[in-house]
Amino acid sequence: MSLLSFILLIFTFNLLTFGNGPAMIPMLQADLVDHAQVLSIEQLLYAFAIARVTPGQANVYVASIGYFLFGLSGAFLATLAIQLPGYIMLPFMRTYERMRSNAWVGRFTRGLTVASVGLIFAATFSIGIKTLGEPVTWIVFIVTLLTIVLLKWNQMLGLLLASLLGILLKLLL
Amino acid sequence: MPQTASRPMKVSYQDLFWIFFKAGMAFGGGLGILAVLEEELVTRFKVVSREDFLTYYGISRIVPSGSMTALAVAFGYRLGGFWGTIIALTAMVVPAFAITVLLTMFYQVLKNTNLLPWLEVSVLPAALALILAAAIKLGKDVFRPSAGFLLAAGAFAAVSFFKWNPALVLLAGGLLGIILFRSSQGEAK
Repeated sequence: MSLLSFILLIFTFNLLTFGNGPAMIPMLQADLVDHAQVLSIEQLLYAFAIARVTPGQANVYVASIGYFLFGLSGAFLATLAIQLPGYIMLPFMRTYERMRSNAWVGRFTRGLTVASVGLIFAATFSIGIKTLGEPVTWIVFIVTLLTIVLLKWNQMLGLLLASLLGILLKLLL
Repeated sequence: MPQTASRPMKVSYQDLFWIFFKAGMAFGGGLGILAVLEEELVTRFKVVSREDFLTYYGISRIVPSGSMTALAVAFGYRLGGFWGTIIALTAMVVPAFAITVLLTMFYQVLKNTNLLPWLEVSVLPAALALILAAAIKLGKDVFRPSAGFLLAAGAFAAVSFFKWNPALVLLAGGLLGIILFRSSQGEAK
């Protein structure tokens, strides 16, 4: 497999899944592991595990696959390929800015923002189900919430202290 | 865009870089990034209204791109034109890119170590709290008995329990908005 066809593959899969990292895994497995056989299943799973322990966007693990196959240039170009579609946003934004004074567009937008709130809570809920389990996770979650919402601490400070507390509790229990 | 040109620029390229770099350091995937962006752009720098923030988020979920990638382009463009998009995108992806490449370089050494159990009891639940706090702030206008609350609750249920496609839920929300918000509250400012 050439670098160009690999980048085109990443570009297409990312576009088809709307940049959803986990949704790309079965596609990558079918193409790179099963069909082209350039990547081992262990490498694919390792790349995906990296995504879970790394901050930032969940689809940047394609950089790991790019690195496995083509070194640094593969990692860099794969990342570029998942960033470029972001520019599709510009024409949408321009259209919205041009039409926002229209009453119908204003009402549509209000419906859209309200539904967005629902969607943000839905995503929070689904992360919550995956994240909260054993008692320590609940303690860390609630302590963070208390420090940043009620005590108005700096977010990073609240996050760091609660994280340390979690590690400490895990070591002690 | 005339609406944004008349707005005074309160964010330098340097601020823009650090805002998005900080967002790129957030745990919790896209929503973790969203929580930082809300904190910085809406609450701290006040360069984006809550309503615009939610609208852009809604549009970013409809376009076929990673939502945070699309949002970085949107806010980067609004706050710094074309170069703003490059700065925002680069700053946001650098932390994840650097860590991903480093961890891959040490694949042979690291493949049998497992960091995940430690993250699961520390940064991940803490990040969830930041995300929830941001979600509550963004939803401020919706938490009162209103047609909007029902619509938001409906969108939540449609995605969480009936597994509807989020982009379709947003479009349906917009169309319902045209019917529901006939009073002056729905007019764009």
